[in-house]
Amino acid sequence: MEKSAYDILKHYMPTFPRKHAGKIITNTTEFMSIDYGDVMYLDGKHYLVNKNLSERRFGLEDPKYWVKRCKELETGKHQIIKLEFYEKFDISIGTIRSSCYRSPRKESRILKLVDGDMRFMQGKTVLDEKGNCVRILDIIYGSELDVALDHLPVSHEEYFNTIFPDYFAKFIGAVKAIAHLHLNHEQHGDIRRDHLLIESDTKNWRWIDFDYAFGLRENPFALDLFGLGSILLLLVGQREITAQQIGTLEQSQTEAVTAEDMALAMPYRLANIQKRYPYIPDTLNNICMHFSAKNSVFYSSVTEFVSALLTCFHELPVFKSARRRYPEV
Amino acid sequence: MNIYNILVAFDSSKPSFEAVEYTARMIRSIPDVLVTLLFIERLPDKDLFESEALWRAECAELVVEYKRKLAKARGLLLSNNIHKKAINEEYIISCSSPFEDAKVCTTGESIAQDILAIQEEGNHGTVVIGRRGISKEEEFLFGSVSAELLRKFTKCALWVVSSNCD
Repeated sequence: MEKSAYDILKHYMPTFPRKHAGKIITNTTEFMSIDYGDVMYLDGKHYLVNKNLSERRFGLEDPKYWVKRCKELETGKHQIIKLEFYEKFDISIGTIRSSCYRSPRKESRILKLVDGDMRFMQGKTVLDEKGNCVRILDIIYGSELDVALDHLPVSHEEYFNTIFPDYFAKFIGAVKAIAHLHLNHEQHGDIRRDHLLIESDTKNWRWIDFDYAFGLRENPFALDLFGLGSILLLLVGQREITAQQIGTLEQSQTEAVTAEDMALAMPYRLANIQKRYPYIPDTLNNICMHFSAKNSVFYSSVTEFVSALLTCFHELPVFKSARRRYPEV
Repeated sequence: MNIYNILVAFDSSKPSFEAVEYTARMIRSIPDVLVTLLFIERLPDKDLFESEALWRAECAELVVEYKRKLAKARGLLLSNNIHKKAINEEYIISCSSPFEDAKVCTTGESIAQDILAIQEEGNHGTVVIGRRGISKEEEFLFGSVSAELLRKFTKCALWVVSSNCD
């Protein structure tokens, strides 16, 4: 095995500057020290590290040193490589705090389960020389759902009648994908608007990032359901509708909004979307209201949630043309 | 169904001890009563641990603790003058247990469903469960066994014992 990455880079990328060539890595345990110019040698392939990925949250860049964007030198294909990293941290959902764990093994298992199922990100797991669980992922080129919604230059009413029906059909497909995980005793664990990507060329909606795990729960799938409900509210409203936004409206534009109209566990966010947009049909709004502070009976499973969504899709006039376009729903 | 064939769902928590005590006080003067302490083993997910060895060690500690508390619950019934012949124990092991294999095990995905299955199988006419008193938000985010039981149980009596029931 070469000690310097330069020899291998010279072969595959003759123009790669020698001064940036780093080390050949076969043991990824110390992932913090793996950086641009290093080459990871995994399962018989060479991967040039281009950069650490980071997550943008609340306007801040949060580097994820265990996630590298790489180029497979043998094929030239760009991939994302997630290195083995365990951590435990607390998350807040409204006023509730919960412990969350990062589990490479969980993600590996799900990758295997969804192999070939394009409703999910695709990738494989290899072990480095120390037995670390390394996930090599295909990059999905596309936009995060919230970004796609933000870029729509239309009013809500136009959105609701033209774009939303297709998005709703796609959403049902995405929810069915999560139901498939649950049927196989797996949870996604981190269902968020930015973990559902709309692929640019296929327009497929695809779930990413499955490495969150939680401790004992009475209903291990309830958090996934909560995440799906939050995405539904986003889709129906076109964007997140906050109490502050409603407060700026003229009184004649909206009925008085009460605490019960807001989302349970996220009291700043409107769940009773009909209060803001009165043309939202009752059947659809009733599903949104299952995630409101008013509600006391929750969906007990994603299957139950899917069934309610399907009723809307097959019955409401707004979905008439989408029903022809998405007969599989 | 025999209403005096009582199933107490016990999970070693404080509310479940209170449910056992409540049951004991309710039935101690009734003859021919049968109480089954049902423990549905819940072990942490292997995903939460960096190695199999760490997970097994945690599971081993938990199982010892569960069985110690189950014995304590039995003691609570005995100290309330329930005859030892009137007390049964049913310990349902976790399907992911690293220590035991069993024909009947629990996946941990629906404790309420597990209780329902044992109730039907054992012809229990009364089911008792303690309630933690969680908020609506917690129930929404993490689920609640007692709320799930209230939704699903239709064939027998369900006693939901809240903390500090005197």
